[in-house]
Amino acid sequence: MAAMKPSSSTRPSGRTVVLAFAGAAAAAVALVVVALLFRSNGDAPPPSPTPGVELAGIPQDDRVLGKPAAKVTLIEYADAQCPACRVYSENLFPTVVDEYVRPGKVKNEFHGFPFLGPDSVKALRFIYAAGLQDKLWQFQEALFRNQGGENEGWVTDDLLREITSEIPGLDVDELFVDAESDEIAADVDAAPGEAQAAGISGTPSLLIKIGDAEPYYVQVSSVEEIRAALDDALEG
Amino acid sequence: MSDRALRLAAAIVALAGIAVAAYLSWAHYADSAVVCIAGGGCETVQESDYAVIAGIPVAVLGLIAYTAILALIAWDVPIARLSAAMGAFMGLIFGAYFLALQLFVIDAICIWCLVNDALIAPALAVLTALRLRSS
Repeated sequence: MAAMKPSSSTRPSGRTVVLAFAGAAAAAVALVVVALLFRSNGDAPPPSPTPGVELAGIPQDDRVLGKPAAKVTLIEYADAQCPACRVYSENLFPTVVDEYVRPGKVKNEFHGFPFLGPDSVKALRFIYAAGLQDKLWQFQEALFRNQGGENEGWVTDDLLREITSEIPGLDVDELFVDAESDEIAADVDAAPGEAQAAGISGTPSLLIKIGDAEPYYVQVSSVEEIRAALDDALEG
Repeated sequence: MSDRALRLAAAIVALAGIAVAAYLSWAHYADSAVVCIAGGGCETVQESDYAVIAGIPVAVLGLIAYTAILALIAWDVPIARLSAAMGAFMGLIFGAYFLALQLFVIDAICIWCLVNDALIAPALAVLTALRLRSS
């Protein structure tokens, strides 16, 4: 601006330009302040005291939720750190449970795909360990509701104890022992390779398997779409 | 660089800004459809508390701003040139703010946000400012 040419009659003077830029800078800084004051939520993480999805009374066997006889299997690949998985868990999973799994039409199978970082790996060790006590689904659902910032070290032992102590019937001490076991570590190590071998490149990924047929990938982003995909599978 | 070339370049950069902001606006509203893809970052940035100001997603604010700047470039009277440069300058400051947020506060990078904040917004600010000097 200091190098501005002398003004002509058809364009603003250098002084006007300098003032205009100063005004713009002031306005931008004011807007940044407004942005900081009026950002959507503030810093408070939203720990939820009550379970989001009621799973009591639904059969669970390791990584499978629902009646074993259900013809249709909904296979989910998830990373505990993935915000899109949290959105799925909070918005679509309750409908899957209430309308399909609880009535025995569909069973839900969990697969970990821990690719976002160290917190993902630690979380999956505990998710799979919870499966040994047939409480995987309660735990993963609660973990999503308490999801923290990506790779910020949010999967702490304190958080894990807090979440798991609220799951009825789960032996927390046993969970911590199991999560450190070689067997679980091997499962978690193998998980990314298995997901990639299944053609999974991101999370959440959902596949539907009818009976013993080859699973097929479904892309859903709303309650209506998951209903349509499952209804279609149940008719097929 | 002639004024004609500067004007064309500014218009193209503004169009690129519109395209990126439109994509990010779409991604914001279709958030449940967005998948985390290997590579990290995913939608942490768009999911953060900073992605919405007073109920309006920042991507939508960007879309409005780039559209207004493009209109001012098309109008091209002296006051429009100055207004375009001021708007782009404000965009530059906002881009720096969002860049700092991603690097130091949210600890996650959204690649299209980065393209906007580090490339498109500065380029548009420089081009529109240079046009003030040309005859």
